Amino acid sequence: MPFIKKPRTLKPLGAVSIGTGERAVKIGGGNTLPLYFFDAKLSNPPAVGVELTDTAWDAAELPLLAKAYEGAATLAERVACAANMKGVDFVCLRLEGADPGGDNLSVEECVKLAQEAAAACTKPLCIAGCRSEEKDVELFKALAAALQGQNVLFLSAKEEDYKTIGAATVLAYGHKVAGESSVDINLAKQLNVLMTQLGIPKESIVMNLGGAAVGYGFEYVSSTMDRVKAAALEQDDAMLQMPVITQVATETWAVKESMASQADMPEWGDLEQRGIQMETVTAAACLASGSDAVILRHPVAVDKIAALVAALI
Amino acid sequence: MGKITFKLEGGGESTIFATPGETLLGLARKANVAIDAPCSGNLSCGKCKVQLLSGSSDSQKTIHIDNAQWDAGWRLACACSVEGDAEILVPDVASAYRSRMKVSDLSSPDELAVFNSLQASMEEAGLTKESGIFSLPVRMDAPTPDDTMPDIERIARAVRGATGAGKVTLTYFALKQLPNLLRANNFALRCICERREDTVEILHLLPIADTHPVCGLAVDIGTTSVSGLLVDMESGKILSKASAGNGQIRYGADVIHRIVEQQKPGGIDQLQKSIIEETILPLIDLLCAGAAIPKGRIYRMTVASNTTMNHLLLGVDANALRMEPFIPAFFHIDAIPARDLGIELAPSAMIKISPNIGSYVGGDITAGALAGMIWNRRELSLFIDLGTNGEIVFGNKEFLVACACSAGPAFEGGDISCGMRAIDGAIEGCVIDKETTEPSFSVIGGEKPVGLCGSGIIDVTAELFRTGIINGKGKFIRDGARVKFDEFGIGSFTLAFAEESATGREIVINEVDIDNFIRAKGAIFSAILTLLGSLGFSPSDVRHVDVAGGIGSGINIRNAIGIGMFPDLPLNKYRFIGNSSLAGAYAMLVSKAAEEQLLKLSKAMTYMELSVEPGYMDSFVAACFLPHTDERLFPSAKTL
Repeated sequence: MPFIKKPRTLKPLGAVSIGTGERAVKIGGGNTLPLYFFDAKLSNPPAVGVELTDTAWDAAELPLLAKAYEGAATLAERVACAANMKGVDFVCLRLEGADPGGDNLSVEECVKLAQEAAAACTKPLCIAGCRSEEKDVELFKALAAALQGQNVLFLSAKEEDYKTIGAATVLAYGHKVAGESSVDINLAKQLNVLMTQLGIPKESIVMNLGGAAVGYGFEYVSSTMDRVKAAALEQDDAMLQMPVITQVATETWAVKESMASQADMPEWGDLEQRGIQMETVTAAACLASGSDAVILRHPVAVDKIAALVAALI
Repeated sequence: MGKITFKLEGGGESTIFATPGETLLGLARKANVAIDAPCSGNLSCGKCKVQLLSGSSDSQKTIHIDNAQWDAGWRLACACSVEGDAEILVPDVASAYRSRMKVSDLSSPDELAVFNSLQASMEEAGLTKESGIFSLPVRMDAPTPDDTMPDIERIARAVRGATGAGKVTLTYFALKQLPNLLRANNFALRCICERREDTVEILHLLPIADTHPVCGLAVDIGTTSVSGLLVDMESGKILSKASAGNGQIRYGADVIHRIVEQQKPGGIDQLQKSIIEETILPLIDLLCAGAAIPKGRIYRMTVASNTTMNHLLLGVDANALRMEPFIPAFFHIDAIPARDLGIELAPSAMIKISPNIGSYVGGDITAGALAGMIWNRRELSLFIDLGTNGEIVFGNKEFLVACACSAGPAFEGGDISCGMRAIDGAIEGCVIDKETTEPSFSVIGGEKPVGLCGSGIIDVTAELFRTGIINGKGKFIRDGARVKFDEFGIGSFTLAFAEESATGREIVINEVDIDNFIRAKGAIFSAILTLLGSLGFSPSDVRHVDVAGGIGSGINIRNAIGIGMFPDLPLNKYRFIGNSSLAGAYAMLVSKAAEEQLLKLSKAMTYMELSVEPGYMDSFVAACFLPHTDERLFPSAKTL
């Protein structure tokens, strides 16, 4: 039986714009199931972000990563490198140094770092916290004020702190916020309901549905994203129509395949190649499942995924 | 080894010697001191607070105890062991669970009216009040040298003549009574008989002048509370009624904790003892005292209870109930002699247990469905029993499907810090002013409030949500004179300040309470949705909803729908049928036809195990939101 193309016309989902002026990037807004570009013309291709932290990476066995940031001494210089990498649509700065269990930088120090980074960044900026919920709330409050007008995406507000973070970032200073839930369609939707009830416009919310590296329960991530997209497109569920952003790097660079040195695991081969593969494969799987933006760490992975997206559209 | 003295706030004390490291909760159980421990000592519920009056303790501070309480010596009994001698104050609240839980025991006129209407509709459907047990005055001729028939034939012939029975038999006990009683009463006796088809068995012999009614006992054994009716089996009249907390509650609030407790050495006996000796026997004493009738005049007992409760009652190992694939030891068993369980009634008294249909849908539900008449309707009906376990039956004349979900004791006032049974002083209804956030209540008895009963918590949750004080997750998002946050950031709402309450203590509902309740209502609603969905039905197909349970008859269905607990159907489709399990046990006691119908119904009912239903967990998470994650299921919630 011959294949008969029956394009489906669905209502476009909401898009969220980050950054300002010509450099702004729109995330989401599609009206097809993930990668079903044959159904309709794509409005915004999936966006690829690169993440870096205020504290430098341990690049001991990662020569390619080290090379990408070669010669960059300050955070501002490293941000500039990241923004100029091939295939990068936006930059994600993670303020690891703020972690009370680590360097415990003060809020003022972090504000200063972020301002330097923002000044050097030629692409839209995302800011992620240090994963200490209490510190992140304080941090985001101060950063939202300091970066007013730059339309930054803050990662992430959770059920416990959406009120403070949502109010400080979006309501007070017009930034964008990602709502983080833990791989559960209902929890994701509940958080969106709560945030919109707080008065945050849908156009300012991105969904961070949680993630996993491939081989580490990724099927939960994949099926959750499938269902989110199906509900958004086919059941017109307004509270699930926000774009999906996935922090791929934090998941894939934390598993043994991307961490065990070649000396410990000679049969596994080169560490950096393994890490790149884990990151690339996971990111591609996320795009196929419904991510509208992925955040990666390694320049090679960023390049490959950007090339994949370009080849598909 | 230290000497521990438990001083009860309500008076009395108990002493026990402790080995180092033993928790106060464990010691209290040994010393027979009742301390409420719904979580069975997992540090999670905070109900087992006691005060150290003297001695030193090794304990752990939890979020249930604030600094002032800690300094005053308050500890969680489950998280505290004592070194050396100590005196422990057990406050009323820790032991009051026996009386605190709402028990639907027909003590209010409303409950009685509901009960009577259920009985009337059962009779209308042909389940006549004919128990088979009756009293029969018999007068015989005294033997003479010409009439040498033995006593047993003499009485058998007389009974045969009076009843038309083909065969008359005598119990061993009656036989032992026979010769002396015959001669002492001039060959005129009152026989208590039971008819089984063509046979009449004489159970008990009494002097002809005896006028006590022929009694039976209907008991509903709930996980949290137990209630009983003493009934004249010839007339169907209720002679007395009583209720009590289930004595097993100190082994945990839910069935799983009880089963786990049963697995410990001696656990089977201990749990059986706590239900029979500590709960049922005192209840029987109370019932008999209330009607001035000796226990020996009770000839039959019927029990409606969930599957775990009837296993524990009979001392049958229930462990397989909690392990996949969840297999009970029995669904239906024939009558058991009461004396085998150590329950002293009439010597030949038998106990009949309402049949189970699954590991988590037990005899309380089959009895309740019998009383609710779902089996006799053509339209599709839903039967919802709100208890520690929530059970749902769906169907009509042609089919019945049932499932169970774990709702926790919230509907009976448990698991809620200010929860109480629906007695005088309980807030049963609430309205909160949207502008001022000031609440107004309807309180049972009309005086100042003491606490919150099941129907009250539905109203309070609905009102807090409607007025924007809590969000869909039950977290406090609005400031107000009555909203507070503690050192752990847990929000709470003061329903009554100290001067507004009857006890002089604040009545406060906190986020933990609301969260417990949201999970309870989420369990109920997702079970309904999953059950209907598995058969290809949706809530809009339901024509009739029977709501049963000890939640209080004042339940506001509109609010229950508003918070997403019941499907969004027109209010007139709902009916509250009270303690239908007890109503079914009563029917089973006084009507043979009802007993047969119950057996038939239980065989026709299909059991659905929710835990193996792939969509249930998802549906539960979606339902743990006010009103629901999918707001389209609750169009009328918007108009609240």
